[in-house]
Amino acid sequence: MTREVVVGTGTGLDTADMVLNIGPQHPSTHGVLRLKLVLDGERVISCEPIIGYMHRGAEKLFEVRDYRQIIVLANRHDWLSAFANELGVALAVERLMGIEVPERAVWLRTALAELNRVLNHLMFLGSYPLEIGAITPVFYAFRERETLQTIMEEVSGGRMHYMFNRVGGLKEEVPAGWTRRARAAIGEVRRRLPDLDNLIRRNEIFLARTVGVGVLTAEQAAAYGASGPVARASGLDFDLRRDEPYLAYGSLSVPVVTRQEGDCHARFECLLDQVFVSLDLAETCLERVDQISGPVNVRLPKVVKAPEGHTYAWTENPLGINGYYLVSRGEKTPWRMKLRTASYANVQALSTLLPGCLVPDLIAILGSMFFVVGDIDK
Amino acid sequence: MDGIPGKGLVKGLAVTAKTMAHRAHTRQYPDVEPDLPPRSRGVIALFEENCTVCMLCARECPDWCIYIDSHKEEVVVPGAARARQRNVLDRFAIDFSLCMYCGICIEACPFDALYWSPEFEYAEYDIRDLLHEKDRLREWMWTVPPPPAHDPMGEPAKEESTAARRAAR
Amino acid sequence: MSERPSILGEPIRFVLNWGRRYSLWVFNFGLACCAIEFIATSMGRHDFIRLGVIPFAHGPRQADLMVVSGTVTDKMAPAIKRLYDQMPEPKYVISFGACSNCGGPYWDSYSVTKGVDQLIPVDVYVPGCPPRPEALLHGILRLQERIAAEQSGPGGVSRPDPVVAAREAELAALTAPPVRPPFPAEPVLPEGVVWHRDRPSSAPVLGPGGRLPVNELSADRAGAGSPFGDDETLPLPLDRISYQRPSSGPE
Repeated sequence: MTREVVVGTGTGLDTADMVLNIGPQHPSTHGVLRLKLVLDGERVISCEPIIGYMHRGAEKLFEVRDYRQIIVLANRHDWLSAFANELGVALAVERLMGIEVPERAVWLRTALAELNRVLNHLMFLGSYPLEIGAITPVFYAFRERETLQTIMEEVSGGRMHYMFNRVGGLKEEVPAGWTRRARAAIGEVRRRLPDLDNLIRRNEIFLARTVGVGVLTAEQAAAYGASGPVARASGLDFDLRRDEPYLAYGSLSVPVVTRQEGDCHARFECLLDQVFVSLDLAETCLERVDQISGPVNVRLPKVVKAPEGHTYAWTENPLGINGYYLVSRGEKTPWRMKLRTASYANVQALSTLLPGCLVPDLIAILGSMFFVVGDIDK
Repeated sequence: MDGIPGKGLVKGLAVTAKTMAHRAHTRQYPDVEPDLPPRSRGVIALFEENCTVCMLCARECPDWCIYIDSHKEEVVVPGAARARQRNVLDRFAIDFSLCMYCGICIEACPFDALYWSPEFEYAEYDIRDLLHEKDRLREWMWTVPPPPAHDPMGEPAKEESTAARRAAR
Repeated sequence: MSERPSILGEPIRFVLNWGRRYSLWVFNFGLACCAIEFIATSMGRHDFIRLGVIPFAHGPRQADLMVVSGTVTDKMAPAIKRLYDQMPEPKYVISFGACSNCGGPYWDSYSVTKGVDQLIPVDVYVPGCPPRPEALLHGILRLQERIAAEQSGPGGVSRPDPVVAAREAELAALTAPPVRPPFPAEPVLPEGVVWHRDRPSSAPVLGPGGRLPVNELSADRAGAGSPFGDDETLPLPLDRISYQRPSSGPE
């Protein structure tokens, strides 16, 4: 702690920097992230994110779960995009085993992944204005979330942790008429989204608090390994769905939303525009599903054993790029399943973004990094 | 800033006014029960008659939350060379405080003894009451809905294909 | 917490319980996935404000109800205990979800506290992973039923602190005088083996309260004491160690 003696107007004023903890429990942190700030008055001198408050040892637990049970755990590290996590794990195992997933399953997986992306983004579209002080958008965002969660529940049984992917495809066939209902729900959400848009995107107070605040340059984003909407808002144009397609993205044209400013508002706008894109993609996939007939999973042996070897599968999770490094020794359980998570890389950028800003700006920047603490800590 | 200053605020207020004119979309639980899809994962029900105590569910459960006790009984079948052995289920308990509702037990059961039920109203004061024994699991059976029909573009459900094969014989 | 005579106290008890159960200010203690369902319960579709539960308490000191939603890790446990202690009486806790009920999916993890009821007393356990918003509403209704049946005065119902209770139980179990099987009074030592110090008597020396004097919990050092005695420095000099090889073989 530095001591700075400011002498002015006759009286000597001793100032000292203050160390302030934000979190681990705080209304503004998305979960249990702790920030150790050194403040000079209202200005942040340095910031250290302290993680580990949600470390549950998932990677160690993977070593004693078989290939169906790891999907249960993998669901829960990025809890807002559970389907995408399951998908990454299943893709890694399928790649190692050399399983070819049936076409219908591929398109269904893509549709569900895009719906999950919309659900994830809607959560942040609601909670970020809440932290800024705009309480209304979160109600609208959750109304849309409920509509989509009804669809996901109808097909998988769970509202948040779907457990619908299996190695080799999906768990079971979708109910009759589900694609029709899903398209109707997408239409409803698309019809109501302009409400959310009009509420917040061009709101003067929101603009005043987020434009020009927390500018992350493209070089910094690349240096930290940031990915997803956070990096694309800074101009880093990398989207796995377009650049290294997996699932059915190769047959789809994926418009990638980027911005150049790299400030909080750009990140928020990236998220909002991506929702529209994802809704369109999901609808296209569902229309395609209605034209393909066939099974949705392959016949697996009673005991699924991945052959010896290692593989890396990465997916464009809603929050960024998630990588799954699977090492197998030919047993029923993986030898090591290492997760590379998007939020972990995104949160590292906080230590350069935050110094120099005021405390209210800190809240704006923290919310705009769009992380999930389970994703950071696994 | 595009347009008149304050335009964003006015647009936001217009959205709020529009929403105010519409009915709220609140579902009045507990007066109105929620409309749950048949696959909804609320609670697990046990149909004891189908259970052969193969213990596959207890083994596959990632949480180890199923407790099974059994013993073997001899059944004398008249006319058979020796008595048959039969597994008798003594205790089948699911600890719902541990259960993470993944459905692996229901998927693993080869004899269709476990089912999903959308019931969710079983919060307890004491955590030991969340361990549901056989009798309570049977009570949940009466709330199990029939499964939804599969999409006609996909494969039919296993029950349908087995029934069709039986009928064809 | 004073006990009032029931003839006058029944209306007062009724009013107190009515007020407590229908104006619960809930402390947003969202840890993990269950927090999302908690937020969904506070939103428009399944509003819990209409049950009297008010969200967005400004801090633990203004809260009545703590809904622990999500996994409790060992790193986060002291924070949870501290926040619970900061809440003023009467206070209630709902454990929401499998992770806070008993560790849930992470039941065998090295860094997870298996259940928040190891730290704080819990009133209602809502099962699920994550539970539906309606399940939380049902849990709140059951909590309200429980509060309606409370028999307490202005201070609220006091509950035992699980951390203190667990520690005391462990200490009692570990310092209980051991039940020894009937050993012979003098052990039979092989030829030529000599103990290097007096052999302790077969009955242990009990400390105050009839309990064993030292164990890890009540000792002032971490780790067990040395079998050579706590005032010894190691390595022992060679002439103090008397070990003779039991069989005569080639040197």
